[in-house]
Amino acid sequence: MHIMEGFLPSPWWQVWFLVSLPFIVIGLYQVNKLVQEKREALPLLAVAGAFVFVLSSLKLPSFNGSCSHPTGTGLGAVLFGPCIAAVLGLIVLVFQAVFLAHGGITTLGANVFSMGIAGPAVAYLIYKVGIRAGANTYATVFCAAALADLATYVVTSVQLALAFPGTAGFLGAFSAFAAIFAVTQVPLAIVEGAVIALVFKYIVQLKPEILTRLNLLPESTIRKLQEAAA
Amino acid sequence: MYEVLEDFAQENGLRQTSTSLKLLIGLSSILLSVSSPAPVAPLLVAASMSTVILALARIPVRFYARLLLIPVSFAVMSIAVVLFITAGGAVLLEVPGLPLAITADGVNLAVLLLARVFGGMCSLYFIALTTPMTEVFDILRRLRVPTVFIDLAMLTYRFIFILIEEAGQIYRSQVMRLGYGRFRESVQSFGMLSGALFLRTWESGEALVLAMDARCYDGRLCIPGDTRPVSCFALAAALLYIGVVFGASLCTGGLVLV
Repeated sequence: MHIMEGFLPSPWWQVWFLVSLPFIVIGLYQVNKLVQEKREALPLLAVAGAFVFVLSSLKLPSFNGSCSHPTGTGLGAVLFGPCIAAVLGLIVLVFQAVFLAHGGITTLGANVFSMGIAGPAVAYLIYKVGIRAGANTYATVFCAAALADLATYVVTSVQLALAFPGTAGFLGAFSAFAAIFAVTQVPLAIVEGAVIALVFKYIVQLKPEILTRLNLLPESTIRKLQEAAA
Repeated sequence: MYEVLEDFAQENGLRQTSTSLKLLIGLSSILLSVSSPAPVAPLLVAASMSTVILALARIPVRFYARLLLIPVSFAVMSIAVVLFITAGGAVLLEVPGLPLAITADGVNLAVLLLARVFGGMCSLYFIALTTPMTEVFDILRRLRVPTVFIDLAMLTYRFIFILIEEAGQIYRSQVMRLGYGRFRESVQSFGMLSGALFLRTWESGEALVLAMDARCYDGRLCIPGDTRPVSCFALAAALLYIGVVFGASLCTGGLVLV
């Protein structure tokens, strides 16, 4: 759900830049610390960013025939935490604007907030809570990715409704934007949840050491999942 | 299949022009379109930017026309909402049976938004089609953006092209094996594609660490920057252009800054 160049009027595009700024600063600080501790972190972060970009440039199958793009940032947030995901999101969004004409420069702040901060934060929270509560791993990943997508779309609707309340007021405008985007975004969120859960399944089966090294899943859970699949 | 704008940025008519000048023109056009209160200035920006892209940068007309269609889907949906929720002025059209009406104020706002989006997108295309990303990194470095951010962006940039290639290969082989025949299969295949891509990505990331270590990577990437002088004529033309758009924006209702 990118808001395109020129769509947000002053002062809203400046406001969203200011809102996103602290998250980016914290994220950069964390990236810096991570890279100084472990030099190999930088290339891995970079490939994760590139993965998110490529995933979002592919067209996802959708129920109603329309093509939409997955956001993919949910996976980044689960792997590295929400603030680092915000930095990756910023980089990916700049490249998307410049290479694919999705989003724009003045709307970058708003897009970073909806796709790089709100979505990943939701994904991260759901993943942490779900794993700690001992819920089914794949179901947790599905919910994290799907709800991250939905959060992104709700935040985008809020941003548009704040900028264009019309005569209906904020709530009326919000429900109008939310209703019209629900047509493409709700099916998309479900498909993206399923896709990311499948990605997780491949990681567990083929390269589980990624998950143990990042402290995402205890080894006992991974063994149990592998046995269940076999 | 995956035509990205960057291919054109590497070999267009304005490749040798100073990067800072191109960024100055592009960014100020975007700002002027967004802050213009009337549709005249953004449309002027759209027209002049398109002319520059087609005539000076020599981008193929058909490719550029297809690019302009990308933002249409979002624009149509959002502008439709704006059109209906903004009331005021004379009622132009009522939807029978529903409490929906299009009024003069709604139409004015929708036209203004369409013009701004159009102006903004054309300026964005101007930057994207004439300025290679590698040169933008050099500018960012001179603006003292944190090094770790630039390094991360550069490595991400490098990997995007490798991964797009791999994703394309996997996708084509899946299509050949009827992987996207039905909806269920499409989701399954897409998940397989993403999973395989992620694992390959991770492995190439680890390989890159080894390769960089072998070449004495010490936590800093250095690229030589080259500075191209800005010709007085080009600078004067750019300033004149910005002045004209600014003037048009002022004449048609003042500049909205807040």
